[in-house]
Amino acid sequence: MGKLVLAGRLAARDIRRHPGQAVLLLLAITAATAVLTLGLALHGVTSQPYQQTRAATNGPDVVAYLPPVTKPGQVRPGPPAEAATLTRAAGVTGHGGPYPVVWTIIAARGLTAGAETQGRPQAASAVDQPKLTAGRWVRPGQVVIERTFAEALGVGVGDRVTLDGRAFTVGGIAVTAAAPPYPNLCYVSGGGCMGTIPAGGFAISPRDLGVVWVTEPDVLGLATPADPLSSYVLDLKLAHPAQAQAFARANSGGPRPGTIRYGAGQGAGPTDLVPWTGIAAADGLLVQDEQQVLSPGALLAVLLAVASVAVLAGGRMAEHTRRTGLLKAVGAGPGLVAAVFLAENLLLALAAAVAGLAIGRLTAPLITSPGAALVGTPGAPSLTVPIAAEVVAVAVAVALAATGVPAIRAARTSTISALAGAARRPRRRRALIALSRHLPVPLLIGLRLVGRRTRRALLGAASVTVTAAGIVAVLAFHVTASGKLGGVTSGLSNPVIDRDEQMLLVLTVVLVTLAVLNALCAAWTTVLDTRATAAVARALGATPRQVSAGIAAAQVIPAVPGALLGIPLGIGLYAAASSSGRATVPPAWWLAAAVLGTVLAVAVLASLPALAGTRRGVAEILQAEAA
Amino acid sequence: MQQEVVLAMLAKEPSHGYELRARLQQALGPAGDAMNAGQIYVTLSRLEKAGLVSCEQSAGLPDRPDRKVYALTASGQRRVADWITDTTWPGPGLAEFHLKLIAAAAARLADPLTIIDAQRRELLRSLRDTQRAAMAEPDRSDAALLLEGIVLRLQADLRWLEACERHWTGRKDQP
Amino acid sequence: MNKTNESDGAAPLLRARGLSKHYGKDASLVRAVDGVDLDVDAGETLAVTGPSGCGKSTLLHLLGGLDRASAGEIWLAGQRVDEMGERALARLRREAVGFVFQAFHLMDELTAVENVELPALLAGQSPRAARRRAAGLLERVGLADRAGFLPSALSGGQRQRVAVARALVADPLVVLADEPTGNLDSESTLDVLRLFDRLHEAGQTLVIVTHDARIAATADRLISMRDGAFVDQTRLTGGTGGTGGTRGSLGALAGLEG
Repeated sequence: MGKLVLAGRLAARDIRRHPGQAVLLLLAITAATAVLTLGLALHGVTSQPYQQTRAATNGPDVVAYLPPVTKPGQVRPGPPAEAATLTRAAGVTGHGGPYPVVWTIIAARGLTAGAETQGRPQAASAVDQPKLTAGRWVRPGQVVIERTFAEALGVGVGDRVTLDGRAFTVGGIAVTAAAPPYPNLCYVSGGGCMGTIPAGGFAISPRDLGVVWVTEPDVLGLATPADPLSSYVLDLKLAHPAQAQAFARANSGGPRPGTIRYGAGQGAGPTDLVPWTGIAAADGLLVQDEQQVLSPGALLAVLLAVASVAVLAGGRMAEHTRRTGLLKAVGAGPGLVAAVFLAENLLLALAAAVAGLAIGRLTAPLITSPGAALVGTPGAPSLTVPIAAEVVAVAVAVALAATGVPAIRAARTSTISALAGAARRPRRRRALIALSRHLPVPLLIGLRLVGRRTRRALLGAASVTVTAAGIVAVLAFHVTASGKLGGVTSGLSNPVIDRDEQMLLVLTVVLVTLAVLNALCAAWTTVLDTRATAAVARALGATPRQVSAGIAAAQVIPAVPGALLGIPLGIGLYAAASSSGRATVPPAWWLAAAVLGTVLAVAVLASLPALAGTRRGVAEILQAEAA
Repeated sequence: MQQEVVLAMLAKEPSHGYELRARLQQALGPAGDAMNAGQIYVTLSRLEKAGLVSCEQSAGLPDRPDRKVYALTASGQRRVADWITDTTWPGPGLAEFHLKLIAAAAARLADPLTIIDAQRRELLRSLRDTQRAAMAEPDRSDAALLLEGIVLRLQADLRWLEACERHWTGRKDQP
Repeated sequence: MNKTNESDGAAPLLRARGLSKHYGKDASLVRAVDGVDLDVDAGETLAVTGPSGCGKSTLLHLLGGLDRASAGEIWLAGQRVDEMGERALARLRREAVGFVFQAFHLMDELTAVENVELPALLAGQSPRAARRRAAGLLERVGLADRAGFLPSALSGGQRQRVAVARALVADPLVVLADEPTGNLDSESTLDVLRLFDRLHEAGQTLVIVTHDARIAATADRLISMRDGAFVDQTRLTGGTGGTGGTRGSLGALAGLEG
């Protein structure tokens, strides 16, 4: 017990003596754990809100899209006989509709989009009654718009819109569980649209479609020979909702439920049955993208954190070795030595994990409200114990991984040489030394510094690679996003893209912050490490500017290949993470700018500590070293 | 016991034999423990014979060497003055220089610091010459070994002279 | 006691007037160097000795431009050193002043010849010229056969000789040595002594700070420092000594004569 207390006390004192480093370490691991928390927390988040909506609206278990049929002797088309068959099928406990559906062009405030317009009774339906979040249910001349769709169009209750040119007033805003919210209406799992969409006249991208409700007479009035009734929607409730998929497959007339069929006219196509699970999945697509962004992002952040911590730990290695030697000399066994080492790193890692969890919890709601379509925000993604445990484990693993090598080295050094302060002898790299002789002085110094501490240079290159990969992945996303919005853009804001861009912004900020921290850490550690050498160089006639340029060059030289390596890595990362799996290559000059920008940033960041380090007088340093 | 030392001890004032011995013992400390009483008296009688010291009998006391009063003659004083400025380094014996300083201070013959300074200069020159000779010798010759020994001794002596300087500077500051 | 004598008519190579270096203030004011006047002639070897903490190393750093004086003036070959900016000082150290340190301060990962050529490379000389000059200097200090050795494979004396060669690579006006034999054993000291002697014969101006009497004895002039000020000056070459003489005294020193 006493050993643990002692270890804890030594660790605490050590942290207090180097608060700056402890803070940097904390920041690095915290950033990584925050991103990780977000990524993990997002995983199961949307099924919840969908369930809430389903419960609130008594959402259907299966939605059937039935082609209208004009019975002989009737003027207008009506629901097919299939409707009755389905409502009486085995397992069906209730139904709503069938409701007529017309695809109209909705125009509001200069924007146009496509609207799946459902005709509904003014009385509430037993099954699938959309829940109002504002205004009132359908009335003649009034339209109720699905919430995300309304936000994208920028309309609220009382605004005027036109459906196929006819004026309507927005009577209300509602959410439903019977169809995925804008803009995922056409992204039911399997890659299809729900229902059929008439060809011709509809030059609108599948993403600019949403659901609206009007009264039945109004919708029938909207049907014209040019834009006829497209289908009837029938909501079904099953005795066993879990079997919705099987039911849909069994009773669907077509080869696959929910596949897209552009261009089929009335009565032409087989019935579409969509199980509620498919809708839930389409709904979840909103967040899926975010997950796809966050998971590799979290990985990058963790890698950067490892690099930062490794650099910090490596810089302290000489002192750490000496302290280990002292402990061993006074009789501490390997157990205590290990305990001291662990205590120091664990303390910081745990603190960072807690901080990261807290930050993740606080910022998650900002990111995870998956579109306004679902009732209520998911709230704090539940910080379950498994998630917290995983985050803590990662934080500890980062700390241990980064400090493992120095610790093992320290433990293996004999006590005497540890006390003598035999720091790692700088490596001799003949090739680098020979090459550097032909270079101007700052590069000479920089290259030799790289040769002296190769491991640190490699770490620096690795962190630049990770950062560059992140930036390139972001650029690739931008390229894809503009591609997705290609064709006729309606000008509507796309919440998915918006949210993705928000996410990427956050991620880029975190990555860049970590990278900046990293660069500063590496440069400062180099300054401390090379203080004596720099002083000697100045005593031999190098100007302070040459010396600080040399230190900066020592960071820039590994950064160049690192940044270049980040390009293919970033492209591959995006390809692996994106749903399409295709590799998007951003334009060459974007890439060049990214590489140049990163290298320049490294140069600037490295010169700050370098310049600060050369302010001390040469004589001071030399005397301190010789003492 | 070196003659000059005894002479110098008498420079301050005439003294009895036993006073002389006491002063010598005090100045030499443990290094003087091996000193034989008889050595002093032998030297004193030699000095008397040489005419450097005069001897008087205290009235009313038996004729014993320690009861006699010794004083410097004029030539004795001259001899002391010469000795004070002499910088011949006696070699391993430090006692002589040590006593020289003490005597000079007590009798106000000269400032000990000046004596030390002059001696230091001389030793440095000797060191220089010895080193020159050592470097001129072929490596590892026997003569070089002897010269190195001399160099090391001179080095040690110079360090002792530095200590003397510190000590006597402190002394001067005391009232 | 702070003024040294003007030797001959030629202007001194290195001059200092009223040189001072203070640290701290008021109660904690430390006068590391206190109003020192100094003249060093070309080709002269000057030794500065004193107890530790007397400021002799600080004085050397001031003379070499490694540290800034609090007051006073320094001239090297007629140029004011104390007024120079950092870049000019760096050039001074590259071209006019060579430094030798007690701790050698060689780069551990460079061979002897790579260490020696470093100041030349820093000065912008071509690698080939620098290498040639470095090899020549190593030969001059007697280490031509060790040119490709790392410092860890060299003895203390050899390392210091490499450091001296490095100090000479720019053919400096003056070589400043700070306790050059402080970390050396007796035999290595002799090697370095020989080297300094040869340099002196070749006409190199040397200012050596030391508390090793053997080094001090090789100088033309010896100055003692205490508490930041000069307290004594001894001229070891020329002039007369005391009545001891030096010719036959080696025998006396050895204890041969009675």
